[in-house]
Amino acid sequence: MIPSRRSFLLGAAALGSTVVTPDVAEAARLISAQEAVTSDWGLVTRDVERDLAPHRLTRIHGRAPAGLEGALYRNGPAKFRRPGGSAEHWFDGDGLIRRFGVADGQATLSARFADTPKRRQEAEMDAMVVPGFGSPGDPRARIGSNDDANAANTSVLRVGDDLWALWEGGSPMAMDPDTLETRGFVTLRDDLKSMPFLAHPRVERDGRIWNLGMNGTQAIVWRLAADGALEDARVVRLPRASYVHDFTATARHLVIVLQPWVQVRQTMPFSSGFEWQAGTGTRVLVLDKDDLAVRREFELPDFGFFHLGEAWEEADGTIRFDVCATDDMRFAAAGASKILNGVPVGGEPARLALAALRPDGSAQLERTAFIAEFPRSDPRRAGLARRYSLHTSGEHADRPFASAVGLYDWSTGRDAQYDFGPDQVVEEMVVVPKPGRSGETDAWLVGPTINLREQATELHVLDMARLADGPVASWRSHTAVPAGFHGIWAG
Amino acid sequence: MKTRIALMAAVAALATATLTPDAHAQDASVKVEFELGRSTGSVMLVLFASEADYNTNRPVRNAVIPADATTVSVTFEGLEPGSYAIKSFHDINGNGDMDTNPFGMPIEPYAFSNNALGNMGPASWSEARFTVEGDTVQTLILR
Repeated sequence: MIPSRRSFLLGAAALGSTVVTPDVAEAARLISAQEAVTSDWGLVTRDVERDLAPHRLTRIHGRAPAGLEGALYRNGPAKFRRPGGSAEHWFDGDGLIRRFGVADGQATLSARFADTPKRRQEAEMDAMVVPGFGSPGDPRARIGSNDDANAANTSVLRVGDDLWALWEGGSPMAMDPDTLETRGFVTLRDDLKSMPFLAHPRVERDGRIWNLGMNGTQAIVWRLAADGALEDARVVRLPRASYVHDFTATARHLVIVLQPWVQVRQTMPFSSGFEWQAGTGTRVLVLDKDDLAVRREFELPDFGFFHLGEAWEEADGTIRFDVCATDDMRFAAAGASKILNGVPVGGEPARLALAALRPDGSAQLERTAFIAEFPRSDPRRAGLARRYSLHTSGEHADRPFASAVGLYDWSTGRDAQYDFGPDQVVEEMVVVPKPGRSGETDAWLVGPTINLREQATELHVLDMARLADGPVASWRSHTAVPAGFHGIWAG
Repeated sequence: MKTRIALMAAVAALATATLTPDAHAQDASVKVEFELGRSTGSVMLVLFASEADYNTNRPVRNAVIPADATTVSVTFEGLEPGSYAIKSFHDINGNGDMDTNPFGMPIEPYAFSNNALGNMGPASWSEARFTVEGDTVQTLILR
């Protein structure tokens, strides 16, 4: 009656069976040995035991700029370990949604876990049992649909009266944007219940939302009005079953980058079903937003990635987008498991690059030497030509987390940086336009760090035009919240 | 991409089979109550009397119950005492199928006896098995 095991697996885009790679096995061994988190970045993946009540942060530097009023919402995993079993990968912890409020010169912080079926089941069993991106799961897990494994732990989106906590293999989870109380999974249309919704929607300047949901060589293309109403959803075919965490868009096109990390089997953990197919190139599928059947394909050299910047189209039809490119996806498969256990990753960090897709069908990747992750840019220029890419920086083989924030200027090839120092773990920063201003650097940069020495989370505001000068305002919490992945500013 | 599921195959098989009451039937019964999220369409269920039949979808009884309230029920009488298991779903739109989303995930509520939930697949016989003895009741949640 119920669809077969196979169709469950096919349907659960982020769920797949169990071929353990040597790296995963090593990570699992480390976990089973219950080795303590001993590195100085242990705070980054610490367990948070309960929601964090709203509290005022202590101002430690400068003052809040006039006109900066709103909230930075961020999401990231914050519960990994339970007595009966632990998550084996950084990406598989429970989503903790954080709200950094800035008003009247003061900053506040509150945080609540998304109240998912996964978290309820694991709390009841006092064991992390649900399989995920890098965790094989436990036979005791009860999983009737992909949303039973939904960790709601990757990013957030402000939609209508809701804040959505996003994962990538299941439905958005609606939260109250003020209290962060969980409201429930979002079903955009009855026949699309439980369809995956990536954690990286692209928001046009008028607020329209585009997103994908992945299932091997199929993707659903979501188009939502700014208030979250579903405008259209249709399934498109992809030329290969690449891992897609992020896509990008120009004003007129969707750009789907298909790296040579390809799903070759349905297995658990999900990431172990992927194989790095060296030499097969990175393929790029460009779809016309007005007619998804109109498609073009381009080919770039091999690279791995999680994150792309906003794309734009030039007058001659060339499409450009930035990417934080790696040589392969070893970090995804194993490195992020090691992080959870405080083991140095030893891999090469991602570096900033710019892809160009030409009207004649050719394509190039221009690589820079700058270490970069978590790319962001001016939301006033979403889908339009721009000059700058904001990014984190400072990761190296022995330290998998950023210590700096950088602003790369594509017109000069220079990267302005501010390094918070080795005691700080820098998280993604967002670009917050200054009210009434339109220049690309007329913006503040807002984001947290974890101060390892003070064992506390800090919130910083920088002036985008003078990034290298460092924060214009900083506040500190009394506690350290583990590193989040992605955030948004809601003014 | 709609997947016609095995339950429907089982129901269809029953519909074309010649069903005669078991000559050795005894007086045991099971009342199956369903708590529904919506009162539209119908609830479809099949009852199995052995692990082999459960795994191959050969039911001993089946029922289609109009979902005209948020609690509906059916009683199977004249069962031999023993082990049974149920597969059910709420056919909300009344099209006779258990509908799925475009990637093949069920979008209509389903339940196994004991409200057992599988692990990325159907609940096993051992999870869904219950004993019918005298007048037995199973309350299943379909929402």
